[in-house]
Amino acid sequence: MPGIIDVSQLVKTYGDGTKAVKGISFRVDEGEFFGFLGPNGAGKSTTIKILTTLLQKTSGSASVAGLNVDSDAPKIRKIIGVQNQDTVVDEDLTGRENLVLQGQLQQMHSAAIKERVDELLKIVDLADAADKRAGFYSGGMKKRLDLATTLVHNPKILFLDEPTTGLDPQSRAAIWAHLKKLNEQGITIFITTQYLEEVDRLCRRLAIVDLGEIVAQGSPGELKQEIGADSISLGFENSSMNGGDTRKRAREVLQNRFDRISNVVDSDIGLTVYAKNGSYMVPELVRAFDEAQIRLSTIGVSSPTLDDVFLKHTGKRIRVEEVSSANMRGMFGRRRR
Amino acid sequence: MSFFADAFHLFVRSMKKLVRNPILVFFSLFQPIIFLLLFTQLFSGLGRFLGAGVLSYTAFATAGIVLQNAFSSAFQSGTAVVDDIKSGFLSKMLATPVNRSAILFGRLLSDVFRVVVQTVIILVLAYALGVYPATGAIGYLLVIFTVAFFGLAWSGISLALGLKTKSAETVFGIAGAVTFPLLFMSTALVTAGFMPSWMQSVSTFNPVSIAVNAIRNPITGCNVNQTICNVGFDWNTILQAFGVIGGIGIITLGATLYLFRKVVS
Repeated sequence: MPGIIDVSQLVKTYGDGTKAVKGISFRVDEGEFFGFLGPNGAGKSTTIKILTTLLQKTSGSASVAGLNVDSDAPKIRKIIGVQNQDTVVDEDLTGRENLVLQGQLQQMHSAAIKERVDELLKIVDLADAADKRAGFYSGGMKKRLDLATTLVHNPKILFLDEPTTGLDPQSRAAIWAHLKKLNEQGITIFITTQYLEEVDRLCRRLAIVDLGEIVAQGSPGELKQEIGADSISLGFENSSMNGGDTRKRAREVLQNRFDRISNVVDSDIGLTVYAKNGSYMVPELVRAFDEAQIRLSTIGVSSPTLDDVFLKHTGKRIRVEEVSSANMRGMFGRRRR
Repeated sequence: MSFFADAFHLFVRSMKKLVRNPILVFFSLFQPIIFLLLFTQLFSGLGRFLGAGVLSYTAFATAGIVLQNAFSSAFQSGTAVVDDIKSGFLSKMLATPVNRSAILFGRLLSDVFRVVVQTVIILVLAYALGVYPATGAIGYLLVIFTVAFFGLAWSGISLALGLKTKSAETVFGIAGAVTFPLLFMSTALVTAGFMPSWMQSVSTFNPVSIAVNAIRNPITGCNVNQTICNVGFDWNTILQAFGVIGGIGIITLGATLYLFRKVVS
């Protein structure tokens, strides 16, 4: 049986010669919550544009609900909902008018539009603000309205390009809760996002793209398992005073007494050790360091996250913006001291 | 079927946007009204130099002012399209089964409607200032029709520029640079006989002159040079204008359609 989205050897070369997508293949099954991840410029948006009939592919094949993206574009548009990376609502129109217009553009009957719009306004908690202009809405409200406009015609598949970027945590959680509910009702969701915790929680499968190619594909569990190692974070007392020396001695201990360690790297507080079944190593580690008279201040074990998966396959951390804002905080903190 | 329904829905959208941003209407009406109220007073003494038929400079200049208004509001059309491209609203529309050409048609429909409403406002104001149509109500309907037709053709230039450059600033810049030279080298504000001879030659081929002559005839009831009056409709002038505006319209709207297809494909 074919998937609801079937992509095979898809290539997109832009007019200026840029190869944005270099022969990717994947499939999404009906009812799936599918994550499509990758660093900026990896080809995610290009792929979404091709699947949503906004861009012509160069070669390969792509079908949505068994319909060809080139020859059946008008039919595809009737069964998909598309949310852009930017929030797109007409700020001069009210929330209700935005939804009604979308229903009209989807060529629905006016009675059906009215009923559906009332229903949607309740679903996205905008019933009270329905007749205010969208220009007066908060960022979170606009995003919910934008999401609602993609749902007016009861689409089978939702394409969402970073639907929660730039929102405060509360609005973000609200959007994810809506998406979860929609998926439970049977809508297939194809999503790109930077929020890996949510992907981990909600996506049944995901693909990671980098430089126009798919570098990893599978369920979050499978991908994390591939990493194969937990990380054990070790903090040493007085590590800042003679840290170099402590680290060196600790490394010697690790090398001499443990053989299941796959990697050791320096960290702010001491060392990070990567090893399979890390939690079982903790008692041994404590004993070994005690005997070597290296005093531990903290020890923590964490299992691999999608962040680690992403880093392994793309060589980049996904949340560029958040990392830089953390650096900013660090800078200000230091200055205050 | 869906073409007209889609175009109508998008027309309604544009109208709502316009009504809710009265400042836009105000700005495009502001200049023509200042011209009508102050400029015509400033040059009221000019009337008798322009031609035997020119009894009131206000009546003479009304045609030019109406056209100037069509000019400036048509030029806002391209910026509205740029807004839709930049905000992503066009993409959002294109992801629906909406008829592609209807997006453009709805836009043009609202442009024409707007020019008509603004023209009526100016004509009512002119009426209050004592400009009575020499050819009666039919003449005024003809004026409104001609202005609308001109506005449509001129929207095409603005839309094509907007689609090509995707920059509202460029559209405004070019509009500003083009409007006054074309207006001043035309019969919008003076008769051809009043100009230096080189400008007369320019004016003869200036589409603004051709359009303004066709609009002025029903208002003043005089011939092109304003030497003989009470001539009724000067069909030569009017039909020539329709031909020229039609030609411009085919080129500008053709270019718009071509560029629009490129954007939506």
